[in-house]
Amino acid sequence: MGLGKEFTKGIVAENPLFRLLLGMCPSLAITTSVANALGMGMAFTAVLLASNIVISALRKVIPDSVRIPSYIVIIATFVTMIEMLMHAFAPALFKSLGIFIPLIVVNCIILGRAEAFANKNSVAPSIMDALGMGVGFTLALVVVSTFREVLGTGAFLGHSLGNLSANSALIFILPPGAFITLGCVLGFLNMLQNRRKAS
Amino acid sequence: MRSIVKLGIFLLIVAGFAGFAISYVNGITDPIIDNQMEQNKLASFAEVYPGADDVKDESSAYIDQTTDPLITSVNIAYKDGSPAGVIYSITPNGYGGKIEMLAGFDIETKKVTAIKILAHTETPGLGAKAPESFFVDRFKDKDTTVPLEVVKQEPADGNKILAITASTITSKAVVSGVNAAREHFANNF
Repeated sequence: MGLGKEFTKGIVAENPLFRLLLGMCPSLAITTSVANALGMGMAFTAVLLASNIVISALRKVIPDSVRIPSYIVIIATFVTMIEMLMHAFAPALFKSLGIFIPLIVVNCIILGRAEAFANKNSVAPSIMDALGMGVGFTLALVVVSTFREVLGTGAFLGHSLGNLSANSALIFILPPGAFITLGCVLGFLNMLQNRRKAS
Repeated sequence: MRSIVKLGIFLLIVAGFAGFAISYVNGITDPIIDNQMEQNKLASFAEVYPGADDVKDESSAYIDQTTDPLITSVNIAYKDGSPAGVIYSITPNGYGGKIEMLAGFDIETKKVTAIKILAHTETPGLGAKAPESFFVDRFKDKDTTVPLEVVKQEPADGNKILAITASTITSKAVVSGVNAAREHFANNF
């Protein structure tokens, strides 16, 4: 597989949120606004990129029997760094993402990519894989949060959309709205896939 | 047996590297974060009690075991060298957890100058509206001699505070915090 394909597979064919159904917990929780989704997506991509690089570079050094604890330590290190950097240089974003930054440590996509990809491939494809997965996850978060923010508050990226804000359906930014939105998006994507298969 | 020691040492090395890397980044970011928190604190003090020359944390002199536990710190605002206002940090319990907030009082007029909500975990779209000016402005210039009261309908004159629609618990929590500070203020200043 070429490097370009390693990148694009994370966006469509193996989109972590829509196709692999990984990382659901933070996705459901932080998609209340598009700004949050972009922030989370960027933090996630940075961590995944760093951990994929280190793990793929060390894949021959790390003994097989302790690879999982090693991965966790490596991932946790990068998450802690990103958390501190964000706190220092992007305090507003840090405040709105709150507990979900430290929780990137247990985001199963990152450990999943370490185990399924970085572990078996060299550095260059691992970088493309991380970027693709990062962009795919960010896009998925933006799609879900766009529906939730527009329908739930009548605004997009904090800008009010006139009439809509007076008629907003609050439930979309409450927790049930996360399930409803994600369910509908997944259903729609499955429908598209089934159609393509049929034709 | 030997392999266990080997694996242990490997993990030790990995963790050691991680520790070094984190402490390096922490060394860079820590002063920035501290500075930022200090700036934020001063800026929010100035919002609830404008025009002070200096604000000093004098909690140790004013907080003892009898003080309402909602009050976490007492800061005195000085103007021309003498105390002019009091800024309380209070943490009442809202609908979704603790609400961190500040309340400012003027010693001369015995009135609330302003309140500010710093952090909260209230429901988005409902209680989360509490920090917005339409609500916090309802506390401005309230008298400190009698307790504030939450009402759900106009008229909200005198010492009544109109609740946020559909967020009575949050409104009551904020008012209970301000009341705790108000009582302490009335007894001490």
